[in-house]
Amino acid sequence: MTTLLESRYRTVLRLLPAYYRREREEEMVETYLWDVDPDTQDQSRPTLGEVASIAALAVRSRLGAPGAPRRYVLLGSTVRLFALFAVLVQAAAAVANLVLELGWAIGRGGPGQHLFLSQFTDQGLLDGVVTAAQWTLPLLWTVAYFALLHNRRRLARASALLAALPTLWPLLGTLTGAMGAGDPTFATAFGLLAWLPALALCAAHHRDAPPARLPAGTPGLVFMTACVVMGVSIVVLPAAADLAWAPASCFVVGALGWLLWEARGGDGATPGGALALAALGLLILTVRVAALYPWLHVPEVPAAYLGGGLAQTGALALLTVAVAVVGRRDLVAAEPGLS
Amino acid sequence: MASRNMTRAAFFVLTALADQPRHGYGILREVEELSDGEVQLRVGTLYGVLDRLAADGLIVLDREEVQQGRLRRYYRLTEDGVAALDAEAERMAAGAGAAKRRIAEGRRATAPADTTPQPPTAPGLAGGFA
Repeated sequence: MTTLLESRYRTVLRLLPAYYRREREEEMVETYLWDVDPDTQDQSRPTLGEVASIAALAVRSRLGAPGAPRRYVLLGSTVRLFALFAVLVQAAAAVANLVLELGWAIGRGGPGQHLFLSQFTDQGLLDGVVTAAQWTLPLLWTVAYFALLHNRRRLARASALLAALPTLWPLLGTLTGAMGAGDPTFATAFGLLAWLPALALCAAHHRDAPPARLPAGTPGLVFMTACVVMGVSIVVLPAAADLAWAPASCFVVGALGWLLWEARGGDGATPGGALALAALGLLILTVRVAALYPWLHVPEVPAAYLGGGLAQTGALALLTVAVAVVGRRDLVAAEPGLS
Repeated sequence: MASRNMTRAAFFVLTALADQPRHGYGILREVEELSDGEVQLRVGTLYGVLDRLAADGLIVLDREEVQQGRLRRYYRLTEDGVAALDAEAERMAAGAGAAKRRIAEGRRATAPADTTPQPPTAPGLAGGFA
């Protein structure tokens, strides 16, 4: 007869994907109940630690664990590439912004440098520290990117989580109604652009996952190219350069390059690449729209900002749909029943 | 497995299987005993480790038994598993040996010079002990 404890363990095991439960459920239930007195089984419950370990196994078994079905292998590859691409975008954006702002301050001599330093010194100690953290912590995206591609996963995970922290500050500001807090929709979208990749990196680049690998190019060359694309996009149209501008420009160039590369045959060795780009495109599109929307009905906004933002939104939407179509083709190949 | 560092959990699971095939619960208890209670694997963690070791060809299913309607699977080491465990044990022993040697050298270097008069260990000029 099934005891209450056995039913509770089976309920917890439902977190695991069906293929895994088919293979392991009976064996795991036996392991759980081996030395539990049958007379006390109706008074016991799975501990929080046991539930957490099954939840972790559930994540891993869905992200391409050994022996997983093809669709889970594809899902795992997609999430890993999404994390890699998004970390690259964040890393390049942090470096490009820093270089351009420092260059601007130095190029304008004393007044420019004073204006640059005043953001750290003129608002009290706490705000100064927060501003300094918002400047420096995003540079850890670069550490995360190179650590990931050099198989230093623990360093990559820690760096990404620290780098994402500054995006919580505007969110806290909007929640507490602090003075000068930005638009909550944009703060949320911008926070998602940092936290989803950081969490995807932690979940999918675990120690048993295949090493992270770029579809093309070397880590340094790809990083430098992304920095240059972002920097040029800001220099060419500074009036349009809000926080979404440079990452969106980089995505547009990257997705175009990917589609051209795929059209010429690609290398066929990066399953999930198109789906990863589609997910990243959707995320950046959300940030782009959230940044632009509040200004659509403000009459004093420069036409270059609105025009640039709208054109970029259109390009992002088109390219996201295009890579999603390619991604669906990969999905159908992995799971023929979807066609 | 040889190309990447073995986790503590994987090391103890392989060690638990070194003398005989064991089932899931048997491995959990054996790991706890071998590590003096320091490593207490959860069931989810154990099966994650078993999946990885099986995928790496270090363990295989030995046999299945059905007891009171429930499935019990026994696992055993493969030749590769024995070799990987042996190599890891050698690596750990070499590391521990190096640490012991350095500690001993450090103690010798920092020990104060001994100024206590010592009896001579060789005959004095007079031909006897001073």
